[in-house]
Amino acid sequence: MLKMTTDLPLLSVRNITKAFGAVQALQGISFDIAPGEVVALVGDNGAGKSTLVKIISGLYKASSGEFALRGQTCHFETPADALKAGIETVYQDLALIDQLDVADNVYLGREVLRGSGFLGRLFGVLNRATMRRETAAALSQLHIKIPAPTMPVRMMSGGQRLAVAIGRAVTWGRELLILDEPTAALGVEETEQVLRMIEELRQKQRMTFMIISHNMQDVYRVADKIVILRQGRHVATLRKTETTLEEIVAYITGAKQKRVER
Amino acid sequence: MESKIEAALPSAAYEQRLRWARFVARYGIVFVLLLIVVILSILTPIIRGEQLFLTPRNLLQVGLQASINAIIAVGMTFVITSGGIDLSVGSMVALAGVLAAMAMKELQIGAFGGFVVAVGVGALCGLFNGFLITRIGLSPFIATLGTMGVFRGIGLVVSQGQSIYGFGREFSQIFAGAVIGIPVPVIVAAIVALLFWFVLNHTRFGKYTIAIGGSEEITRLAGVPVKNYKMGIYALCGVLTGAAAALLLARLSSGDPTFGRFFELDAIAAAVMGGTSLSGGEGTITGTIVGALIISLVQNAMNLFNVPSYWQDIIVGSVIVAAVILDQLRKRQSRVA
Repeated sequence: MLKMTTDLPLLSVRNITKAFGAVQALQGISFDIAPGEVVALVGDNGAGKSTLVKIISGLYKASSGEFALRGQTCHFETPADALKAGIETVYQDLALIDQLDVADNVYLGREVLRGSGFLGRLFGVLNRATMRRETAAALSQLHIKIPAPTMPVRMMSGGQRLAVAIGRAVTWGRELLILDEPTAALGVEETEQVLRMIEELRQKQRMTFMIISHNMQDVYRVADKIVILRQGRHVATLRKTETTLEEIVAYITGAKQKRVER
Repeated sequence: MESKIEAALPSAAYEQRLRWARFVARYGIVFVLLLIVVILSILTPIIRGEQLFLTPRNLLQVGLQASINAIIAVGMTFVITSGGIDLSVGSMVALAGVLAAMAMKELQIGAFGGFVVAVGVGALCGLFNGFLITRIGLSPFIATLGTMGVFRGIGLVVSQGQSIYGFGREFSQIFAGAVIGIPVPVIVAAIVALLFWFVLNHTRFGKYTIAIGGSEEITRLAGVPVKNYKMGIYALCGVLTGAAAALLLARLSSGDPTFGRFFELDAIAAAVMGGTSLSGGEGTITGTIVGALIISLVQNAMNLFNVPSYWQDIIVGSVIVAAVILDQLRKRQSRVA
């Protein structure tokens, strides 16, 4: 028996395929994410990025293949299973609920109740004071400044929303944070703020990220490793230190052909 | 290196304005209600020569008229807030009334037994709606349009189209009676309103109702068992409709498969007048109760002023539309503020 625990990848994706009817959305994807690593998943529209994310976050089931978290094979039936395993996903257009305030969003699905006994669970009376206090503390720790945890989300800017959504994911995500197109809807300054937040979280908290993006500049800046998909196929895995922006783009467009490393 | 994302406004003043905007958006309809009361208090003595409106007796009558609609409308508020609709509540009233009357008459289960049957039938109807919507995947509009016909049809079949009388005087004495001068339906409506105000605003069930209406997808992604909660929401609407059916049965001393026609429209109107958004995610119990009271007040006023009954539908309909327009204007303003 070898002691491998320290070298064990945080997430290990093995030969994942996904078919929607006759359409092969994913055709055998394999890659690893080491603990504390920032991995970018890139590719053109229809490359299968979102499908892969949805499989890892428990929304879809893979047609074949498997993935493991710290060596444990995952069998997610629902998004709740992925959340329980410590995988948090921030979707580009599905981040927060407009009609709820910040604290209610951060604690959505994980409400703190008054009284933990049978009656507390039966009636589900919310302990909003605690949730607001904890939200304010958690967000300020991440340097996310919002006027108040009682602020309705609909009154916030795109950058503020995303910051809160990431804050929510960081608060709950023990293992892996998946960000789906985090900067797609943001302005230049807001994008910069989000990228800095990712860098800081990686440095200070050794958070592991998987980032899906169209924006090569952003990806190139924050990622350690770049996984490139093209038309459902895994065409390359590149270390940032060993590649260039031009090479990545060449793989995405198909100008350069398959080369897979780990 | 620090990333800071700040809002432009300072927090204290901002929160103050936020609170005011939210207050107006939520409770503005209360001022509409008060305005109608003031106008009727002034107009009635002028038109009728005496104050027939602002008397305890007449106001209790307004409350009594509003109570059954208010109870159903509270359930409807949960359904609409969750992004759904329930068109079958009027038919549920008919079916629950008929079955409760028959059970009391044939099985001698007593007044409270009859009440339980009405509520139970409502719960089953609601669960069936929830089943069609969450497990079969029908849209709420289509599912409840179908059960609207089915529920009333079952009521017609089991009663053979006849009214059911003679299920005992006790039932009416209890559920159409009064406690210290206040009619029982008014008391029930008040308890329902208070209880479900609390449920909507301070419990997980209420929060998920709003969340599902805001975005079912995001709520599911957050790990909430959305389907189960939706089943619960339709069942709740059924339970409250069943209770309302029992109160109507007591007041009319007969169960009839034709009762409750257009009750769904009154309940939807009360909720929407009260600021519940038909697109989901927003709803208040206070607003719904005020909406039910406004509908009842307008009907009361038309009776006091001897408005011909053909005109009454036109006027009630116009008031509902006007109230919703006012509400939307107000909300748009408070959003800008």
